[in-house]
Amino acid sequence: MPIYNPKFMPKLIIDDITVEVPEGTTVLEAAQSVDIPIPHFCWHPALGKAGACRVCAVKMLDGPVRGIQMSCMLPAQDGMVVSTTDPEAMAMRKGVIEWLMINHPHDCPVCDEGGECQLQDFTIAGGHGIRRYDGKKRTHTNQYLGEFIAHEMNRCIQCYRCVRFYQGYAGGTDFGVMGRASMVYFGRQQEGPLDSPFSGNLVDICPTGVFTDKTARFRARYWDYDLAASVCPHCSLGCNITPAARYRELLKVIARRNDAVNGWFICDRGRFANAAVNAPERPRQALVDGKPVTVNEALDVLVLRVGEFLELHGPASLAIVGSPRMSLEGNIMAARLCKLLDAGALSYVGDAVQAERTMGAVSLLASGNAASLADVRQADLIVVAGCDLLEEAPMMALAARQAHRNGARVFVVGDECALDGARQELYESQAVTSLSDIPLTEAKRPVVICGTHPKRPDTAPLMAPLFGKKGLQTPVKFAFILDGPNAFGCALLGREHDAVPLSQAFAGGAIKGLISFEADLPAELTAGITVLAATDWQPTGLMQRAEVVLPCTAWVEQDGTFINNEGRAQRFKQVMRPGLPIKGLDPAGHPPRIHRNDAPGGDVAPSDRVIAMLIQRITGDTPVDGPLSGRWEGLRSLDADGEGKRLTDAA
Amino acid sequence: MELVLFRHNRPGRMTSFDEYRADGGFNALTRALGELSPNDVQQAVIDSGLRGRGGAGFPTGRKWSFVPRDLPGPRYLICNSDEMEPGTYKDRVLLEHNPWLLIEGMTLACYALGVNHAFIFIRRGYEQAAVNLRQGIAEARRAGLLGENILKSGFSLELDVHQSAGRYICGEETALINALEGIRANPRAKPPFPAIKGLWGQPTVVNNVETLSNVPAIIANGPAWWQGLAATPEAAGTKLFCISGHVANPECFELPLGTTLGEIIDGPCGGMRPGSRFKACIPGGASTPFFTHEHWDVAMDFDPVAKAGSRLGTGGIIVFDQSTCMVAVTLNLIRFFARESCGWCTPCREGLPFVRHILEKIENGSGEAGDIDILREHVHKLNYAFCALAPGAMGPLEGLLRLFEDEVREHIAKGACPFTTPNLCQN
Repeated sequence: MPIYNPKFMPKLIIDDITVEVPEGTTVLEAAQSVDIPIPHFCWHPALGKAGACRVCAVKMLDGPVRGIQMSCMLPAQDGMVVSTTDPEAMAMRKGVIEWLMINHPHDCPVCDEGGECQLQDFTIAGGHGIRRYDGKKRTHTNQYLGEFIAHEMNRCIQCYRCVRFYQGYAGGTDFGVMGRASMVYFGRQQEGPLDSPFSGNLVDICPTGVFTDKTARFRARYWDYDLAASVCPHCSLGCNITPAARYRELLKVIARRNDAVNGWFICDRGRFANAAVNAPERPRQALVDGKPVTVNEALDVLVLRVGEFLELHGPASLAIVGSPRMSLEGNIMAARLCKLLDAGALSYVGDAVQAERTMGAVSLLASGNAASLADVRQADLIVVAGCDLLEEAPMMALAARQAHRNGARVFVVGDECALDGARQELYESQAVTSLSDIPLTEAKRPVVICGTHPKRPDTAPLMAPLFGKKGLQTPVKFAFILDGPNAFGCALLGREHDAVPLSQAFAGGAIKGLISFEADLPAELTAGITVLAATDWQPTGLMQRAEVVLPCTAWVEQDGTFINNEGRAQRFKQVMRPGLPIKGLDPAGHPPRIHRNDAPGGDVAPSDRVIAMLIQRITGDTPVDGPLSGRWEGLRSLDADGEGKRLTDAA
Repeated sequence: MELVLFRHNRPGRMTSFDEYRADGGFNALTRALGELSPNDVQQAVIDSGLRGRGGAGFPTGRKWSFVPRDLPGPRYLICNSDEMEPGTYKDRVLLEHNPWLLIEGMTLACYALGVNHAFIFIRRGYEQAAVNLRQGIAEARRAGLLGENILKSGFSLELDVHQSAGRYICGEETALINALEGIRANPRAKPPFPAIKGLWGQPTVVNNVETLSNVPAIIANGPAWWQGLAATPEAAGTKLFCISGHVANPECFELPLGTTLGEIIDGPCGGMRPGSRFKACIPGGASTPFFTHEHWDVAMDFDPVAKAGSRLGTGGIIVFDQSTCMVAVTLNLIRFFARESCGWCTPCREGLPFVRHILEKIENGSGEAGDIDILREHVHKLNYAFCALAPGAMGPLEGLLRLFEDEVREHIAKGACPFTTPNLCQN
């Protein structure tokens, strides 16, 4: 882990450009900071220097060191004069590429990495074209590493990134480096699925095609992908991702760098658990009483039926249900719909305990005391309470590991500390029964991580004394693990609009019917309740029961906003157009014989749009304001490529 | 002449504890613990001019002086007995005859450095030496010369023998430290140097067997006496030279440092074998450039050998006669280095097999004129490898291209190896 000291700013000259960087910055990074690219394989910003590949050679013309040096190994110092274009440095870099290409197969055309391969890029950039080595190439056998990652060892250039990530960064023990000299082998002792829940990062981190995403192999080249900046919907952390799609099929998910959140990596659930987007059983057709109709027809019927329902039962018997997995926009519109119909309940969460804990957590967080994943990685003392990090928020466990690797002490509090499966594998921790056993006063950057899961012990009372606690060197920062990518947003909306947990809304027996949007509700909770309409892109039980079924887009098919567990609003962009993947279509029907403008199965809209259309029908033809208006106005300009925006008024 | 390292040797067996003690063994330790401060011991080693006998020749006392004494936590001393440089077998001969000098030397060094736990990292194949050391450590402990409160001085030392799993790279001090920690034997990035951050992140000194074995004599007889054992005023002490190849009497000899190459070969080695004429030699182990007859009078000491274009290295001299193909010699050495690369950095891992391939082509008669340029390129570029293995491997190749370019060109021109004697480089 590189540690930078911004108090001292060495000044150096790289290719005639004066660069000032914080102490601890390498010459390679200093060059990058002024857009001078220096080839590199083994160096990685998250893994630091290794000095293995030797391709980042530069010539030091003046200063404390002279001659050919590896820019990744050299801390920037005052008075350095660096040339990246010196003939000797260029010859060295070209030589390294030549060495690497001695054994690298010339199989780019049939390699899945082709087009997104660092080795390919630097080989061409380095000018190595004529092969001088005429001997045999080294060959290896490949291993079966599970259903997600393909292994092609012949392509390996021994940058050691995979093992440095897998063992060092992620704490895996079942994958490593074996052999020596030119027969170095990266793999497992025996074939078998990789154990680490972060193994998919090998695909991203390998600079060539040794590890490729098996789920997406040979489906498309890099330039064929539909790509956009997106946010992972699988837990409350909001890791940044770049989904890659083609022909209306989500092919794979690539980690996207956000230093404040996930850093460079994501977990395997975020990467590999997205088959539902392409699933054939996914609802794509609007239905009324089980019969296919257009979306417009469905909405017309819904308006009539809502009218009838309100007339029969009164508005107090209707519940509008949003969801922590729906975009902020959708949930805002759900609240607006509830207000418009004067419905008896607005609900975002089914379980009362979950709702209470989430609300409690959100009300405790302010911009100053909410811990981002970056804060966790830099913490020097971590307290984990009432959560199974590997299960509920894997990247939080990985962040805690980074802190631990840098010397942070980890304490697990409470009777059920065995819950946290990560503590064995990713970091050593000390089990304590009460807060008084934790030396908080010694910590400079303390972070407390709490769960909110209703089945786990409630840790909030335990943590309450820490808020505003006196006598500490630095106030404690808090990270709560919530139950969905937008749980924080739902809590904010819930407080604003007096939402109630659905179980509570149903308790009085007043609620007779509901309209749900991307909601996951247990069947027993909604038994006996009329589901007037359900909107979702997943085939939930509610969708099967609903009188009016309105399919909507998945998060990769729309723009939207999630507010993560620390109150950071992050924009995700539309990656692909909605519609049935071409791959799944009946071959007899493709190519289509009848011209149409929309894709089959593509007559779907984002849920906020569905609600807007509904509101428009109810209110007559007055245009409906976009969701991000009023107090949410400030989020309109949110940049999907940025670090997101902390909602400072959260508490 | 006065012997230091072989002084106590008995023919064909290990010197016993009693014999060593009767010869004045452990007197230096007794004296140091009784009369000298740790700093006195270090100063004596600095004054003696002792330079590391493992190959690099770094002044030992200065190395010790780099160790910070005020950092929290333990400090460590490691004896590097992973003698794997081809042509070098001095430490083996020394330890098989006499483990006592090392045990006493390490105890003195630990006293000077304030080390309470030291390790002897020994080559796997040195089974007898390891047995000797373990037996010696046990006997010394029984005699109160190791363990808790040595000679009631308050100084304690644990000495452990660790047998290497065996690779050439383990002789590189940071790779050795990794191996000792139980992780992969790749060299570490320097800085930080082991003296600051070594074994388990603590200040650590790594010294060679022969280096440490000289310490008792320096303490017992004084630095000036020890220094005066050398053949030249610039040199200091004696050196174990282990000779192999086409000489009449290939053996390990203790000779004054600075003895000339010619004196070594004509003297204790008994000259060349009958029918052999001196053509070249490797002066200091496999990673040093060749010497030829023009270097006959070079004093075998660190600086004169460096000035003559090679390195004293370990003092492992391999002598070749007129029937030797120098391409084959170099190829044989490169094969060793290519095999022993740890595989960490590209120049070493990929560059050495490239060099091996080209030398094989030349030796087999299919070399081309351009190949010499490729070899020269590698001699230059392999300097920028991660550790000293690859630059060392280029030593003999550099010597080949500088001293025997004609012979290489003859191979290429003839399309065959001009030497008719059996090929040295059979795998």
